[in-house]
Amino acid sequence: MASPTTTAKPAANILPKKNRNSFLRGEEMTAWWFVLPSFALLLIFVFYPMLQAFIISFQNYNLVGGTKSFVGLDNYKSLMTDHSFLASLGHSFYFAIIVIPIQTCISLGMALLIQKKVVATGLFRTLYFIPVVISTAVAATVFKLIYNKEYGLLNNFLELLHLPTTNFLSNPDTAMNGVIMLGMWKAVGFFMIIFLAGLNNIPQDLYEAAKVDGASKIQQFFRITLPMLNRTTAFVVIITTIDAIKISGLVFVLTNGGPNGATETAVFYIYQMAFKQMQMGYGTAAAFILFAIVLAISLVQMRLFRNQDY
Amino acid sequence: MNRFASFAKYTIMIIIAIVSIIPIIWMISGASRPYAELFKYSNSFNIHLFVPVQPTLQNFKDVIFNERNPFLTYIGNTLFVASIVTVLVLLINSMAAFAFAKLRFRGKAIVFALFMSAMIIPGEVTLVPNYLLMHNFGWLDSYKALIIPSMLSVFGIFLLRQFFAEVPDEILEAAKIDGATMTRTFARIVLPAAVPPMITLGLMTFLGNWDSYLWPLIVINDDKKQMIQVAIAAFSSAEGTDWSKILAASTISTVPILILFLFLQRYYIQGITMSGVKG
Repeated sequence: MASPTTTAKPAANILPKKNRNSFLRGEEMTAWWFVLPSFALLLIFVFYPMLQAFIISFQNYNLVGGTKSFVGLDNYKSLMTDHSFLASLGHSFYFAIIVIPIQTCISLGMALLIQKKVVATGLFRTLYFIPVVISTAVAATVFKLIYNKEYGLLNNFLELLHLPTTNFLSNPDTAMNGVIMLGMWKAVGFFMIIFLAGLNNIPQDLYEAAKVDGASKIQQFFRITLPMLNRTTAFVVIITTIDAIKISGLVFVLTNGGPNGATETAVFYIYQMAFKQMQMGYGTAAAFILFAIVLAISLVQMRLFRNQDY
Repeated sequence: MNRFASFAKYTIMIIIAIVSIIPIIWMISGASRPYAELFKYSNSFNIHLFVPVQPTLQNFKDVIFNERNPFLTYIGNTLFVASIVTVLVLLINSMAAFAFAKLRFRGKAIVFALFMSAMIIPGEVTLVPNYLLMHNFGWLDSYKALIIPSMLSVFGIFLLRQFFAEVPDEILEAAKIDGATMTRTFARIVLPAAVPPMITLGLMTFLGNWDSYLWPLIVINDDKKQMIQVAIAAFSSAEGTDWSKILAASTISTVPILILFLFLQRYYIQGITMSGVKG
């Protein structure tokens, strides 16, 4: 059977050389027209702002007063000793350190629970995933009511178990835990899907062979599943870390940084600085510091996971 | 022993399922009952914690026809912006993805690398400069600020490029022999074959825009033009104690999305799986 290629190739060669060049040039023109819109957007709304951010971070830039002056490293220097910025970084890290291990374990556990295609696993997958599609503002609003001391669902439940009730969000010591619970409720389903894809990529004959050799389920998990999932786990941990350190959306609606600044995260602080106090240079410098920290952590994590790779 | 294990497994699965959806069920049931009833049954653990005794649509009516907070307007605004962005994202990014997957041009490798490098640039850093850009363009308080910067989806280009790369070259060659231009080939042959990934990208873009909060909060000041998420957040802090209305507003903005998701979840999950593959 003559495939279309074999007929196409000679046909192209029959054409005079000049014509072929012009055809290629035509293709090149088309290609550039196709890439142009998105390339323009990339330059205008990503690369130019990135460059601009770098410049602004060395300026004292106040949009309201219309003032703009070069201050060198002053923004960065004062941020290093700015207590509320350092505290906001601390809150972000607290959130991340709690969320990364717990959320990763829960989402892996959920993926394992529903991996085998038996009765109703599809339904469970859908149910587990629903919190992911609930918008941040709605989820935070509903949880605000659930956390309420007198009428909220959560305290009812604690009461039922004869545990002490608290108003999570108005106590500075527990408010961040309220944010953490909501954050995990919303995100586990997403990472469960990624783990599920990773689990489905593990060849089943590995398990068959292990069974023949008499390996227990637990041995199979630690000797086959976890090592084979290494790349998926790396992806999940790195993305969770980035998302966790940059947490902000939930905080805006759930606590608005309070009580007493206890849930002010780094991105929340950046927003406050840049758009409430209109200190655009200062806020952008803070964003750069955060970016550098996140990048450094991601690189270290990548290195650690790569060392484990087989 | 085995039966015990499987019983334990199903128990855990059901508990997780309950935790996942109880807040949503509670939201919907709270929205469809009178204000007084919401608190009356809040301390008891009987069925009426979730099932309204006197179901009512009054809360929804109050929220929709509220003069100060016209939720129908907010939903309309958001629908308008999210739909336009979705269509443009699909058009613009599929074109670029096709060029990267199938066309030959000088500088392709470098340009593609530039696109991919944009994935690590965080929106937090470019937030202030982008705001200033909108300010300079005079786009503040205009939907241009919500639509035009959102038209680029680097993830979308990545996703579609992988799909287009699998379209056999023979088909494109054949179309070329038949005298079709590249644009025509793209529109008539390549795009129709790419419906599933386009649905994936479209759904993710639409939901992303439906959910966007921080950017509209910054660039839109006019209340009448506001997006739904900002409106809900503002409503829930302004109305403080009027829980029924807050829940009704949340329900109105959530249920359409939930239905859309239930019908198209296969595509959405496909998209997440693809994003995991690149890692």
